[in-house]
Amino acid sequence: MVAPLVVFIGALAIYPTILTVLEAFEHIDPLTPPNHFVGLGNFSQVFADPQVRQSIENTGWYALFGVVLTLALGTGIALLLHRPFRGRGVVLAIVILPWALPSVVEGVIWSWIYNPNFGVLNSVLKTLHVISHYQLFIGTHEIQTILLISLVQVWQITPLAALLVLAALQSIPDELYEGARVDGCSWAQETVRITLPLVRPALAIAAAEALVMSINIFDQVYVLNAAATTGSSLMSTTYFITFQNLNFGQGYALSLFATVATILLSLIILKFVYKKVEYQ
Amino acid sequence: MTINVALAYPPPPKATLAAFTKSTGIRVNYSYIQWDSLQTKIAAAAEAHTYFADVTDVDWSKVGEYYETKWFLPLNKYFNLASVRANYPQVDSFIRNGKLIGMPADISLMVTDVNVKDFAKAGITKMPTTFSQYVADLKTLQAKGVAAHPLDIPFAAAEGLSTYWYELTAAFGGRVLSPSYKPEFTSPSSPGYKAMAWMVAAYKEGLVPKANLGLIDYQGFTQDMATNKTASVFSDYSGDIGTIYDVPSSSKVVGQVQYIPTPGLSGPAPNLANPDGIGIPVEAKNVKAAVEFIKWFDEPANQADFAGAHGGAKAVEGFPLPANKQGLALLVASHKVPGAAALASLAEHHSRAVFPGGAPPWYPAFSHAVYTNLHSAAAGQESVASAIKAIAAQVASLGG
Repeated sequence: MVAPLVVFIGALAIYPTILTVLEAFEHIDPLTPPNHFVGLGNFSQVFADPQVRQSIENTGWYALFGVVLTLALGTGIALLLHRPFRGRGVVLAIVILPWALPSVVEGVIWSWIYNPNFGVLNSVLKTLHVISHYQLFIGTHEIQTILLISLVQVWQITPLAALLVLAALQSIPDELYEGARVDGCSWAQETVRITLPLVRPALAIAAAEALVMSINIFDQVYVLNAAATTGSSLMSTTYFITFQNLNFGQGYALSLFATVATILLSLIILKFVYKKVEYQ
Repeated sequence: MTINVALAYPPPPKATLAAFTKSTGIRVNYSYIQWDSLQTKIAAAAEAHTYFADVTDVDWSKVGEYYETKWFLPLNKYFNLASVRANYPQVDSFIRNGKLIGMPADISLMVTDVNVKDFAKAGITKMPTTFSQYVADLKTLQAKGVAAHPLDIPFAAAEGLSTYWYELTAAFGGRVLSPSYKPEFTSPSSPGYKAMAWMVAAYKEGLVPKANLGLIDYQGFTQDMATNKTASVFSDYSGDIGTIYDVPSSSKVVGQVQYIPTPGLSGPAPNLANPDGIGIPVEAKNVKAAVEFIKWFDEPANQADFAGAHGGAKAVEGFPLPANKQGLALLVASHKVPGAAALASLAEHHSRAVFPGGAPPWYPAFSHAVYTNLHSAAAGQESVASAIKAIAAQVASLGG
């Protein structure tokens, strides 16, 4: 029964991963053949490249913004949706919508929102007298650029976080809240002392998901900021090294680095955030 | 027999392809793939030694790379090089060390265009013929309030920015790399250095809209020129008048934009070639049929039709100009495409390859260094001197 699945995963995930690991230690550049084993040579070369180091630093910011904002917004939305109200189903469907859109489409949508000539963001800020004339938001300041690009991805992945947390919220027995209210707990105290501890498994999974997506951010960066170093990500740099410079060996090395970093950071999140919750 | 063709043009009309099948017995499975995505597919398939298509794109910028990697079959066996040289004005871009890596599929060149209505509003009726006059005219447009930022330069870190710099360097009387691919832009008195410094100053001093830091070439044409925000593009793509500025549904400047000979230091400057070619990957399964397709695609009558000589019904959307002289003559004679005669003249008399010996094999990495550093200099994140130094260092690391 599971044989087709094993073959499928083996062919499309395990085999390419093994190849990537092996070839990360080889010189593979069709412009300077032949291929040969170089040990850690690819790694030392990519880490000596200032553009790669810049992209790693940027990716750290993407991960930080991505995880923090996704968790904050996802939890907030879940708490709002947890309470019954009229039209809750419709709101839930609208909230999920960004999750269903391809990343490139989202990048294009947000490029219109951020557009310095006629973007919605400029229009709103000018109407509110926050700015006196239209601004160029992307590309001028590094952290601002990363934050704004990160917001696009947060907009996409927050629905998943919200759904995970919402599912966890709905599994918390009402008796716990009833008991707390009898003891005089406020809504805020309930949230901090009951709700958040009991949704930790969902928060851990949502955080890990946000981390994976943030470390692998590419489409939004490429659509909104082209190849500018101000917002370059680890994945966009990997793409340029691999498919533009044709240095496949270095591209594999960076891919392997991204994979290991993702796994390690995800494990750290799971270790510190995840806590098994069981109800009698 | 069926061949797979993957190009960055929309497919020719069904009836046209059907006529090819009828005359040759070869069926065409045509895939239209966006240019950037197509380059990635070509590289990935070639590196994996996998069949991808029988005929696909050979951009001028990839010729050195394909020569070194041997990912494409040299076409000398199938096309007479002397005859091709005589009939195809931009074929130099596709020849490296005597090997014809791809056949020119179109003619495309960097051209200057101006909004003559805006120029007239500012009292300018005689179009500039020198660069200094061109700059003076742009400043007049600004001073008279016709356009607050009259010049379009797309400053996003993308290929269009590199191309703009090459064209401006040519207008300043130079080139970016020597025939042996050494940098010729490192001295502050060199045309390349001056061109970059001028572009950055034009942005910082407001000749170019501030928003252009985030615009790629196509966005600049559609959001600046077509909306009458700017009044000139110094390095535009040939054909944009017909395909962008004269399209009533999306342009506010219909009938107002004209090509002019690109202003140089003391007269018309060269117009750098920017053509696409078509070639046959070494992994192709049906080489003979692929050659037949290329010959058919390059037939003068077909080329003229693709460019619009018989109107929209036979045209290929976005196709610039016919690749060969006969096709150009047919297009001009049809009087169907605005500015075709002017472009044909520029193509025949002023067109020059960016790299006459074929692009260097490491061109994509070089161009990446150019547009990222030029973008950073305009954004104020580094100086022009440091951008030039970084680009030169990249050339040195690539073996130039």
